[in-house]
Amino acid sequence: MVRKFKISDLHKRIISKKTLFKVLTYIDKNPDLETPLLLIDKEKLVQNAKSLGELIPNSRVFYAVKANSDIELLKILKNMGLGFEIASRGELELLKKLEVPPEKIITSNPVKSPDFIQSLYNYGVKYFVFDSISEIEKLEKWAPGCFGYVRITVPNEGSEWPLSKKFGVELDMAFDLIKRANDLKIISPIGVTFHVGSQCLNPYNWYIAIDKAKRLFDMCKDAGIKLKILNIGGGYPISYTKIAPNIREIEEKISSYLNEKFDEDIEIFIEPGRAIVGDTGIMVSKIIGTAKRDYENWIYLDVGIFNGLMEAIGGIKYLYIFEQTTPVNNKESSFFDRYKKWTVAGPSCDSMDVIEKNVYIDADPKSEQLVLIPSAGAYTVSYASEFNGFPIPKIKIL
Amino acid sequence: MVTFTENEPFSPIKYQYAVEKILYKGKSQFQEIMVFESPDFGKVFVLDNIVQLTERDEFFYHEMLTHIAMHTHPNPRKVVVIGGGDGGTMREVLRHLSVEKAYLVEIDKKVVEVAKKYLPFVSSKLDDPRVEIHYTDGAEFIKSINNIDIVIVDSTDAIGMARTLYSEEFFNNVYKCLSPDGLYVSHTESLGFHREMAIEVQNTLKKIFPIVDLYSFPIATYPGNWWSFAIASKRFDPRIPNKEQVPGTKLYDHEVHKWVFLPKTLYLRIMNEDVQW
Repeated sequence: MVRKFKISDLHKRIISKKTLFKVLTYIDKNPDLETPLLLIDKEKLVQNAKSLGELIPNSRVFYAVKANSDIELLKILKNMGLGFEIASRGELELLKKLEVPPEKIITSNPVKSPDFIQSLYNYGVKYFVFDSISEIEKLEKWAPGCFGYVRITVPNEGSEWPLSKKFGVELDMAFDLIKRANDLKIISPIGVTFHVGSQCLNPYNWYIAIDKAKRLFDMCKDAGIKLKILNIGGGYPISYTKIAPNIREIEEKISSYLNEKFDEDIEIFIEPGRAIVGDTGIMVSKIIGTAKRDYENWIYLDVGIFNGLMEAIGGIKYLYIFEQTTPVNNKESSFFDRYKKWTVAGPSCDSMDVIEKNVYIDADPKSEQLVLIPSAGAYTVSYASEFNGFPIPKIKIL
Repeated sequence: MVTFTENEPFSPIKYQYAVEKILYKGKSQFQEIMVFESPDFGKVFVLDNIVQLTERDEFFYHEMLTHIAMHTHPNPRKVVVIGGGDGGTMREVLRHLSVEKAYLVEIDKKVVEVAKKYLPFVSSKLDDPRVEIHYTDGAEFIKSINNIDIVIVDSTDAIGMARTLYSEEFFNNVYKCLSPDGLYVSHTESLGFHREMAIEVQNTLKKIFPIVDLYSFPIATYPGNWWSFAIASKRFDPRIPNKEQVPGTKLYDHEVHKWVFLPKTLYLRIMNEDVQW
C-alpha cells in the first residue's frame, strides 16, 4: 500500500527527498508497523559524523551519548572512530559492551558519583571534568593520577535549550580550582570546558566562551600551569522548523574565533549530540483521535511529551508531515478551512502532555493517519518514559 | 492574468504558467486532475498540481522514454507500459511494427478518460487493437505476466504515489517478467535538482540487472530540465541501437540514440559523487 503525505515547501528544506523516499518506502513495505517508531537515516548519520570537526584543526569528536544511546547507532559511530562523552555508569556499561577503548571516552559531568568515578578509573578513562572542591576531593580519592579540566560558565543567550546555572563556575573560581588540583599533584589540570547551550543559534556565544577560556589559559600560564585542551562542548544547532546554520557554517566561525584568540597549540575536544543524530531521525506517529473543544481543534498523537517529545516543553518546535487520505468530494475548500489552527497533544492523561498549541496545518487530520515528525533523532527516545503505559518509540536504522 | 504555479515541493525553482482557460478540474480516487489551456504551451495536463505534459513539447519526453529501449531490443513484441494513462508513451511504442501486444497498466481510470476527452494528441492510439488496458497497480500486475520484451515505467514523481515502482522488490519482479533479451526503462527525475535520486535508482538496479545505464535529455517543462532516464538490460548494451530506426519520430534517430548517454567518464564521476552541485 502506498500512503500519500502532504509535503510542503518547508518540509523539503528540513528533510531531503532521498531521506523521505527511504522513509516512505519503509512505511509502504511495513503496513503494520508499530508506532511510535523512530527511523534513523544511516547515510545522514555517517555524513554528520564525518563533517563534525572537519573544519576545526587538531580536534577530536566525542559523541554525547545522552542524545540517543541506541546500541546500533553507537556501533556505527564507534566504527567510524568517534569518541564518546558520558555521564553515568549506565552509559559506560553500553560502551563497554561495544568494547570502546578507554582513551575514546571522556566525561563532562561535573558532579559524579564515587562509584561512577571508580568504574571509569578502573576501565582506564583518563579525562575528568570538575567545577567544585568536592569534585576535586572525589577525584583525588577515586581517580588518582587523572587529568582534569574545569568547566566555566558562558552565556547561553540565543540557544533554544539553555543550560541553566546548574554547572560551571566563573573564571576566578575556576582558576582557584585548577591551582588547588595542581597543588595536590594527584590530579593534573589539563584544560577548560564550557557549554554554550544546546541548539545554539547564536554563534557569538562561542566567541565569548572562547575568549573567556583563553583568559583562563593565560591566568594559568602566568601561574606556571600549562593547559593543553579546550573542550568546546556541543550546542551545534539543527533545523527543526527554522533553517539553522549547518555544521560547516558553525565550524567556520568557531575555527576563526579559535584562530583569533589562541596562538599556542591546543587540542580541541567537541561533544556534539544533537548535531550528529538530531536531523537523522524521523518519528513515525499515528493520530489516535481528533476533537473540537469550544473553539479549539485538537489532535492526539500516540507520541507525546512523556514518550518521546519531551523537548517540546522547553520550546523545541517540531514539523509535522501529515498523511493524506485523498478526499473524494469535489468541494473547493477556502483558505480558512484549509489552514485551521490545531493543538497537538500526546496520548497520556496528563494535562501537561501537549506538544504544541496554535499549529497551522494544511491537512485534514483523521484518526489512524500517520504523522511524520522530522529532526526527532536527538533527545527523544533517550528522554522517553512509559508513563501511563504508552510505549517508548522503537528505533530502526535505515 | 490567471496563472498556475506548479507545486513540486522538492523543486527549488517553481514554474508558473499563464492560463488561458481551465478545461477540466476534478478529483479521482487517487489524485487531483487538471487540464488547462496555456497561451505558450497549448494544453497542459496536471496531476496533484504537478505538470505531466504539455501539448507543445510532450514528444521530447515520450520519444526519449520509449525509443532508446525499443531500438536496443532488435525485435520487441510484448511491451508493458506502467502508468502513462495519457497515451503518449503508447503512441510511441506502437510506431514499432514488431509489437504484437502492448499492455497499458494505469492505476487511475480517470486519467485515461480525461486524456481521451481533452488530450487526443497523445491518447489517439489507445484504441489500437494491440493495446490492452488494465486499471490496476503496476507493481501487482507485473507479477502476473512473463516473457515481456520491454517494461516502460511512465509514472508520476518517485516520492509520491509511484513510490512502489522504484523499489528493489519491484525491480526484481520486472527482471522476472522480462524475456532473456528484455529491457526496463523509467524516468529518474532531474539530474540538475535531484541527482541523488537518479544515483539511488542506478544503484538499486545494479543489484539485479547485469547492464544498467543512464541517459538524459533536456525537457523544458519539467523542473530541473536535465531529465534523466534509468535503463536496465539483460543482454543488449543500451548505448547501441540494434534495429532500423522507426519512421515518424521528431527527435529520435540513431545518432541521437548514441548521443543521449553521458560520456562514461562523467557518468562515473556522478555515480561516485566526485562531482556535486
